[in-house]
Amino acid sequence: MRRTKGWATLAAIVLATTANAQDARDYYKVGVVTELSGDLATGGNVTKRGYDLWAQEVNAAGGITIGKKKYPVKLYYADAQSNPAQGAAAAERLITQEHVDFLLGPYSSGVTIAVGPVVEKYKVPMITGSAESPMIWVQKFQYTFGTIPPVNFTGAAAMATLAALSPAPRTAVVFGSNDTFSKATATAFNSALEKLGIKVLKFNIVPEGQDLTPLLSAMKGMRPDIIAFGGHDEELIKLVKDLHQIDFTPKALLMHYGVTEPAFMEALKGDANQVFGGSVWTETTKTSSKVLWKDSPTYAAAALKAFGVAADYTQGGCSAAGIAFQVALQKISAAPPLSDAKRVELVKALEAIDVESFYGRIKFATDGDYYHSNVGLNPLTVQIQNGVVKSVGPAKVAEVKAQYPMTPWSSR
Amino acid sequence: MEILPQVLLDGIMLGAVYIIIAIAFSLVYGVMHVIDFAVGEWIMLGAFTGFHLTQWTKVDPFLLLPLVFLIFGGLGYLIQPLLQRVISGHKGNPLLMGLVFTFGLSLMFRGLAQTFFGFYSHSIPSRFSTGSFFFEKGSFFLTVSTVRLAGLVYAAIITGVLHYLLKHSDFGLGVRALAQHKEAAGLMGVNNKRTSAYVYAIYTGTSAMTGVLIGTILSVSAKMGPEYTIFAFFVVVLAGMGYLAGVPAAALLLGVIQSVFLVYLDPGYTLLAVFALLYVILLVSPTGLFRKGV
Amino acid sequence: MAPVHKDKRLLGALVVFAAMLGVPLAMHDTFFLRVLTEAIMWIGLALSFDVLAGYTGYLNFGHSAFFGIGAYATSLLMMKAHWPFPLAVLAGAMAAAVAALVIGMPTLRLRGAYFAIATWALARAIQQFALVSSFTGGPDGMRLTAYLNPQYFYYVMLAVTASTFFGLWFLLERAPFGLKLKAVREDQESAKALGLNPTKLKIQAMVLSAIPTALLGGVFAYWVTFIDPGSTLGDLVSDQALVMVVFGGMGTLVGPVVGAVLIFAFKTLFWAYLSAYEVLYIIILGAVIALSVVFLPDGALGMVFRRRKAPEADLETPAGHAPEFPNEEEA
Repeated sequence: MRRTKGWATLAAIVLATTANAQDARDYYKVGVVTELSGDLATGGNVTKRGYDLWAQEVNAAGGITIGKKKYPVKLYYADAQSNPAQGAAAAERLITQEHVDFLLGPYSSGVTIAVGPVVEKYKVPMITGSAESPMIWVQKFQYTFGTIPPVNFTGAAAMATLAALSPAPRTAVVFGSNDTFSKATATAFNSALEKLGIKVLKFNIVPEGQDLTPLLSAMKGMRPDIIAFGGHDEELIKLVKDLHQIDFTPKALLMHYGVTEPAFMEALKGDANQVFGGSVWTETTKTSSKVLWKDSPTYAAAALKAFGVAADYTQGGCSAAGIAFQVALQKISAAPPLSDAKRVELVKALEAIDVESFYGRIKFATDGDYYHSNVGLNPLTVQIQNGVVKSVGPAKVAEVKAQYPMTPWSSR
Repeated sequence: MEILPQVLLDGIMLGAVYIIIAIAFSLVYGVMHVIDFAVGEWIMLGAFTGFHLTQWTKVDPFLLLPLVFLIFGGLGYLIQPLLQRVISGHKGNPLLMGLVFTFGLSLMFRGLAQTFFGFYSHSIPSRFSTGSFFFEKGSFFLTVSTVRLAGLVYAAIITGVLHYLLKHSDFGLGVRALAQHKEAAGLMGVNNKRTSAYVYAIYTGTSAMTGVLIGTILSVSAKMGPEYTIFAFFVVVLAGMGYLAGVPAAALLLGVIQSVFLVYLDPGYTLLAVFALLYVILLVSPTGLFRKGV
Repeated sequence: MAPVHKDKRLLGALVVFAAMLGVPLAMHDTFFLRVLTEAIMWIGLALSFDVLAGYTGYLNFGHSAFFGIGAYATSLLMMKAHWPFPLAVLAGAMAAAVAALVIGMPTLRLRGAYFAIATWALARAIQQFALVSSFTGGPDGMRLTAYLNPQYFYYVMLAVTASTFFGLWFLLERAPFGLKLKAVREDQESAKALGLNPTKLKIQAMVLSAIPTALLGGVFAYWVTFIDPGSTLGDLVSDQALVMVVFGGMGTLVGPVVGAVLIFAFKTLFWAYLSAYEVLYIIILGAVIALSVVFLPDGALGMVFRRRKAPEADLETPAGHAPEFPNEEEA
């Protein structure tokens, strides 16, 4: 009985995944590995929106123009289930079963690191529009790229903006959740503060999801000027609520990711105002492009129209990943289906591109710690003002002045 | 040293939340001898319901608590017979099977929540969430937020109500008899099935209300369940399984330990300490600190 | 009991094993091999979980800890001490065996439900330890040098699971050890009266359960090339093994295999073709396990075998089935 069941299951899997031969086609098969379920599904779905929007826009124009023909793109999704092993399996499935031309990558760094060797093995280029851990780029994966630079590239900028405000902040407290990204963020904040000569009174990495009230109450007595926190959306919400509950308002509250997420503002309403964040793009960043969307507001409007949700910088980064491929493909005139040789050319083309998109300048580093991540962008400091994310630094690109120090919670 | 009173106070506030998570859970264990793996999920579902009801009716969540209790009490009452069937079976170890059943329930609830409520985190707004009491004298200061104080009051009320119910009502008498000796209680005229169903309904209803409270103090998300489940386990083990009187003390102790750890020691090790402590206590004194567990 | 060469079920298992040896020669599809390799891993995990759960009656919610110990030990030895893979994996298994011994001695004295919570707490503590320690890489995890050879890993995984299966077959179904465990499961006091040492037996069962799990963890680490506390020390391994064993049929060897194959096949097909409805998978899984416990206490296997049952007990009877007369009412 077990034998029959075993064979029946095997047969089902075999029949269902019959490999299709690589015949000529007039569209690009683009694989997407991202976290559609599991713990990181929130982020994964943000990346999905970014990739979907790119595909929609490209296809609305008829497709990617190579020579005289236009080739539309078709996205093939595989769920990494927020699990690195599953991510690797997902990548393998897309490459060997669906025969995708290239890949768009996951939300999280862990999954990206597990997928890296797989795309190296099959020599299929991948660009991830998210995944900001420095860990990824030191692995020096030849076939993996990222449109968002790691936190150790962007973290310092936010601190520099805060340090320049007056009255100048003198003390700070830094916390981070104990997960790859948040820990890297907190560490980046910490080193930036030290370099700027601001005294770090407390630096702690705390377990994920903890209720930090006792820690915050104790810290209230120290009256730090800056509170900097690295964490994910739920922890950010809890932090602000906690600070309100103990009635402590620092001069500046800096968080990294999540500030730009609509859920943050929706949950906290007025309390979300004046929170600082780090970003590489906002809806009003001054950019100018000839590819797809001509500037940030155009993209933002398209995103809002398509999904009813404001786009954040991760979503933008994902759409930018698609644009990077688009531009590179055009450069080497690679029509689908891509051969192995063309893919090698594609990697070289990606390393060479230097293009202005709605997202900003896309230029991948070719050596060093930021290998293959996008160092063309300018790290921004943003602040939520009246429910809208605005960039307040660096001075050159600031749209508005920062509101500083923060208005106490009770006065709002 | 000036922050010690604040640390202790915060610990008590943390403990208040733990009391309400654990108390109904302990009751269910005492009566049905089932460890409900889904306790965190009941809390989560209650939190989401509170969130959506508040958004829809614009009524303060604290006023919606009775409604949430009724909804989830009813749900628990309906599900209980299935659980009863599992734990009174002859197959294998029925109590372990009860655990597995509730584990299955918790998976199902989590999936349902993710499907219908989405992946985002939320917060339940309430007129109590703004405001705090502040006391300062020299370098000594004490802050406590209104909403956490409300949580403490809620914990006291629930504990009081349950105490009254168990010690001073006929129903409570039946419940205690059932917990002590099922067969004898049956002989005395206590209807096992119905009483158990009511107890389970009280448990699910209370847990759901707790969820609403947690949503106002902290946050709501589809994956918040497991962390509350483990704290419920911890408090109940510390108190002694089924020994309700031990719950408040155990919960407050846990809150204070956490608070001390967060402030005086390295907060990164907090959870490691908590889990290791839970393990050691189970080894050393499985019947709890007061040695009165079942 | 039939002699080895006449035991039909054993022969059947051997035939399947032989067939599985041949698969990579016939199938060159790397993705398919990957799926099979993972399926084989889950079969092994379900089997080892069942040793303690089904045969001995102890639900070890900390099962993942053994998997993680194997994975981390292998990674650390290979990457920091430059040990070769086979040696590292074996060392990982030994570490887990020692851990099982050390943990088992105090913990197995606890009653069922307490044991479940205690092991869960300990597993979480171990996960936290990996998260806060820098030598394990903390939350960043560890990367292993990539060796992407699907056939190699298929055979290694198959070797571990097959030896587990046949080893357990011998120890639990043919040797008295299995019966002794079941005696302990049913009634510890009576077992003592019969002259058995329940504590020693339980510890042996736990060690027996830990070794294959750690081996599989070690192979997994090298296979996936990246491990972190979330994926190897989290609840996923324990939870899925539990589901597979309960659904398949506890207290048997064939039950976990069937449960693992069915659940994994279901999960993979869902993931590959219905990934838009991935969330439904958790709902269905939860419902399946809740309903299995209520309506199929002996698992899928029990459902099939119940009709064939003879009045006297036989070794292959699923867990908890005391001899019953055909007229007795089912609970």
